[in-house]
Amino acid sequence: MKQILSRIVDLRNYRWNELFLLILPSVFILLGMLNLQYVSVSNQGKAPSEITASSLPGIDTLGPQLLLIVALFATHIILSWLIPKADQTLLPITGMLSALGVLMATRLGPALPYPIPVLGYRQLIWVILGLVFCIGTVWFTRSIKWLSRYKYTWAAAGIILVLVSLFHSLRVKNFNSPTHDQLNLGFGGVVFQPSELLKLCLVIFFAAYLSENREVLALGGKKIGPIHIPPLRQSAPLLAILFISLLLFLGLRELGVALLIFGIFVSMIYIATNKMSYVLYSLGFFAGGSLIAYYLLGYIRDRVALVANAFLPAYANNTGFQIVQGLIALGAGGIFGQGLGQGYPYFVPAVQTDYVAAAVGEEFGMMGLFALLAIMLLLIYRGFRIAMRSRSVFEQLLGAGLSSIFAIQTIVILAGNLKLIPLTGIPLPFITYGGSSVIINFIMVGLLLRLSAPEETA
Amino acid sequence: MTNALTFDQFLLILRIAMIAVLYLFILQVVLVSRRDLNMAVQYQSAQPAKQVIGHLTVMDSGTTKLNPGRRFDIFTDMTLGRGPTNTVILESTVVSGENTRIYYENKSLWIEDLGSKNGTFVNEQRLTSPRALKLNDVIRVGDVRFKITA
Repeated sequence: MKQILSRIVDLRNYRWNELFLLILPSVFILLGMLNLQYVSVSNQGKAPSEITASSLPGIDTLGPQLLLIVALFATHIILSWLIPKADQTLLPITGMLSALGVLMATRLGPALPYPIPVLGYRQLIWVILGLVFCIGTVWFTRSIKWLSRYKYTWAAAGIILVLVSLFHSLRVKNFNSPTHDQLNLGFGGVVFQPSELLKLCLVIFFAAYLSENREVLALGGKKIGPIHIPPLRQSAPLLAILFISLLLFLGLRELGVALLIFGIFVSMIYIATNKMSYVLYSLGFFAGGSLIAYYLLGYIRDRVALVANAFLPAYANNTGFQIVQGLIALGAGGIFGQGLGQGYPYFVPAVQTDYVAAAVGEEFGMMGLFALLAIMLLLIYRGFRIAMRSRSVFEQLLGAGLSSIFAIQTIVILAGNLKLIPLTGIPLPFITYGGSSVIINFIMVGLLLRLSAPEETA
Repeated sequence: MTNALTFDQFLLILRIAMIAVLYLFILQVVLVSRRDLNMAVQYQSAQPAKQVIGHLTVMDSGTTKLNPGRRFDIFTDMTLGRGPTNTVILESTVVSGENTRIYYENKSLWIEDLGSKNGTFVNEQRLTSPRALKLNDVIRVGDVRFKITA
């Protein structure tokens, strides 16, 4: 106990930066809940004509969302005991993002007025659970090597989970829905998305496999003129796992997840081997594969046609309704936004999952959306920086792969929302409403925190 | 009560404050990151600069693409091998991933084999344990031969 205390109360090396950085996310939650409270009062026609200091609501009426502040500071204290030297910006950054996520879920919850809007309440529970999982990850990965030792186990576990959900969804899933539902696996009321777990398993597998074989992949193999042919024996397991996962998700119509897995693969193999030829092969394969899929699979043709023609009358009131309404919501937000709780995001179908960026854009405006992007960018920057400063090749690849997941997910969903690429249902990290996505994101942050902590010699 | 805010003004202030908090937070994180970077730079400049002790001159490049006569600087610690992390990269099929280490200790230069398949030779004697190097010694790694020059 004395030892624990002395580690926390080591004032010179205390995580002061993290503590100070946590203040603004807390202020953000307070302001947001105050804002939502007032808007809900005014929607009931009971708005006070004038605001004075005495008419401000007390802390107790602001809602349980304030528990998030408590959870963030509690996590801060536990981290300063577990890994006092780990990165100090990750927790505040993810705290700010999930604060925005909880506020948006509260605002989009089926009923805004107090008592508790349902979505916000659930998202709050998911974020707090996520923080618990984050601490758990930091605790269980004290020696990170065991992750790489069971690399085929991870890959197999991920694929089996997806297979189980494939059989499950063949019975349940509505393949004709225009935006498709995320693939779900239910356990007694709690819905779980295996694709979230699969991406984590695949990054661990790729990092472990590439750290062992990157030299052969980079320098081995034959050369025919300027063309470098990768060695078959080393690349076969990699490609096998990649193709199994890609085919699974193409079959399940989860284009976003297929794109995410492919993106992780390309960035990790380039980081591991530093060979441009692998990137060129992958891009060529992507172009060819997309063309073949376009001609073979009807639903891909539909998605592309949707993006090209969303505003045509035949689409805009039908399958393109969501895309068109999303763009209108963004336009309604303008530069400074309508103000939290004062827009009309409900016109967009599935706004709390696929289109949360449109809701943020409508209520916080372009300024808010850019701030969101900048915070996401900082998260990715810190991730790559942790990767660069890691000790072993496996840890470097793991850090880079985890950061790439955040980056690719953000690009794919935002570009889809802005009608730049076909829309695919993939979560915007920490902000999209959804339990498995939030929890897996926090596990990834836990891994990054562990990677950033210098190994203890005790 | 001229000082009291109307309801709409209050909501406008909240709206501006929330955006301002987001940007202040970004500024704070950037400042913390910059301080981190400065500390890393100071740490690096506090380390003694790598000293060049001598040179490895390629005598016979074997199957690699090195030009005979090319000189590599010898630092206080360097490795030779096929892998991309080595100080001197030898793209040859008879060189191991991390083949040989050369390091400076107790005022002399040492050479050590890192458990390579085809071994490291100094003056055509295979290394079994670390050995001190002299000027004009000939090192053979796989099919590549170097000479220690000043």
